[in-house]
Amino acid sequence: MLTTDQKDALQEIANIGMGQAGEVIAKVLNEFVTLSIPRILILQPNLIAPALQRMVNSELVSAVRQAFHSSFRGEALVLFGLQRCADLADLMGYEDDIDHATEMEILLDISNILVGACLGGIAKQVGVDIGFSAPSLLADRVPIKEMMKVNDASWQHALLVEVNFQLEQRSFACHLVILMSEHELKKFAGELDRFLESL
Amino acid sequence: MQAEDLPHLLDFVVERLEVGVFVVNSEMRIVFWNRFMAIHSGQHSEALLGRNLFEAFPELPRKWLEKKINNVFVLKNYAFTSWEQRPYLFRFHHNRPITGGVDTMQQNCTFLPIKNTQDEVEYVCVTLFDVTDTALLQLQLNSAIATLQVEKAEQQQLMLQLADAQSHLMQSEKLASIGQLAAGVAHEINNPIGYVYSNLSTLEKYVQDTFGMLAQYEQAEAAIADDAVRAQLKATREKLDIDFLKEDLRALMEESKEGITRVKKIVQNLKDFSHVDATDEWHFADLHLGLDSTLNIVSNEIKYKAEVIKEYGDLPEVECLSSQLNQVFMNLLVNASHAIEERGTITIRSGQRDNEVWVEITDTGKGIPAENLKKIFDPFFTTKPVGSGTGLGLSLSYGIIEKHHGRIEVQSVVGSGTTFRICLPNKQPIELQK
Repeated sequence: MLTTDQKDALQEIANIGMGQAGEVIAKVLNEFVTLSIPRILILQPNLIAPALQRMVNSELVSAVRQAFHSSFRGEALVLFGLQRCADLADLMGYEDDIDHATEMEILLDISNILVGACLGGIAKQVGVDIGFSAPSLLADRVPIKEMMKVNDASWQHALLVEVNFQLEQRSFACHLVILMSEHELKKFAGELDRFLESL
Repeated sequence: MQAEDLPHLLDFVVERLEVGVFVVNSEMRIVFWNRFMAIHSGQHSEALLGRNLFEAFPELPRKWLEKKINNVFVLKNYAFTSWEQRPYLFRFHHNRPITGGVDTMQQNCTFLPIKNTQDEVEYVCVTLFDVTDTALLQLQLNSAIATLQVEKAEQQQLMLQLADAQSHLMQSEKLASIGQLAAGVAHEINNPIGYVYSNLSTLEKYVQDTFGMLAQYEQAEAAIADDAVRAQLKATREKLDIDFLKEDLRALMEESKEGITRVKKIVQNLKDFSHVDATDEWHFADLHLGLDSTLNIVSNEIKYKAEVIKEYGDLPEVECLSSQLNQVFMNLLVNASHAIEERGTITIRSGQRDNEVWVEITDTGKGIPAENLKKIFDPFFTTKPVGSGTGLGLSLSYGIIEKHHGRIEVQSVVGSGTTFRICLPNKQPIELQK
């Protein structure tokens, strides 16, 4: 799917992208944030759910999905295990008591910030413009197997980039997953080549 | 189209688009406000340009929205709101003044960073889409689904009730047919038992008469002159062992009479139990009689397990369905004997208080754990091995006592025994007497 050069380049770009993303998220949330070194995998459809399960380490998950579009397209997922977002309300400027709808809005907002910052960071390194659709709720305390039903996938392989996000002072953690099908991955590989040539 | 026409065209499109569009700078001052926003907010562009968004619209959730817009400046990235979590940003009238359905225009909003050539965000453009129609449909759908779920739950409840009712019906039919069978058997046996019993009495008299006659013959024996005849009589008497026969015949008669009396009693108990004489109608009955006939029926099941102690008080006759009450007594007595593992006692007490009578059945069995106490009256609840208990006995008893406007109470201590107490009103409420 990716040549060794392309994969190395992607790892490097993602590392730098996450560094920048961490900085900008810290500025927005006014808290010290940790982003893990991105882990890059190429997986078949049926292995996606187990890979997500391994990250979250809890039976039920809540998740947000958001599409991104550039010269390549894909979807980003943000997975929340038992961690709830209600604790982050004050960081997002909420003043009143938190009801379910508000909690879901915080979930969507945190996801939007993470996806925007991390993918924005990568896009900036590669030197492409990137846009995002509105995030939507994919799962609200649902088993992962039920959430990810990719049996009828039109692709055989997908790129999966995993980044773990932590707010240490609040012991809050969630997981960002970037997914791109093999067709889109080809286009993305083209951008990586262009980037490598420009060095 | 001429190139110089383009800005004019764009102006027109943004102005007339059926989407709310406005732009603020980093100080939250309004720098653009399109026609859609003007029409719906009632505030025109000329009056708003240059003003702080939150001063112009103090009803906006300032702290949250300021943070949201600031994040777009800092992150240089889109942000969104959705009607599902936040129905609206601005409280606008919806476009259904006639048809109605919601109170406010439902909105999806996008916060768009507008960057300058140095890649810094100079403005944030907010677009506001009217999604009232979609939201209405969605809400209708949700409420339809909720209704369906409620109905489904109700249906499941009804199905459970049906199964419950069916099992009650089956059990009571089973009991009814046992009762009928018992009544039939009792009736059929009653006649032959009757003439066997009276024949036995007659037979006893005949035998006594015959022995009397025989005694006279024996006395007359000495008067017989012929030695040979006397010797033959003596030999026959010794051969037949007439002395033993006389003795034994009396014992046999005694045993047969006792046996037939017992059979008569059992048949009478069966008749009492199934209440063959009276149909299932409310009548005044002596509960002690019911308890005694039930005890006789279950005595085989109980006698190897427990000694039965009766501490009967003074009871008036009680208005009841006595055959059904006997059913309850039987259930409680059989359960009591099952609870006793080796040997123990079953104590039956009774008494009256105010306008109530009570019957208590206490066993010295293994007791019922607290977690099971709540469930013992539930249909199908049983702790007996699969196949040996239906789990219906106590639930049926409960139903019968309830029908009598009475109460059934239970106290149990694990390891030392259980007491069931039945309280019944002396008389049923008027409306149920008929």
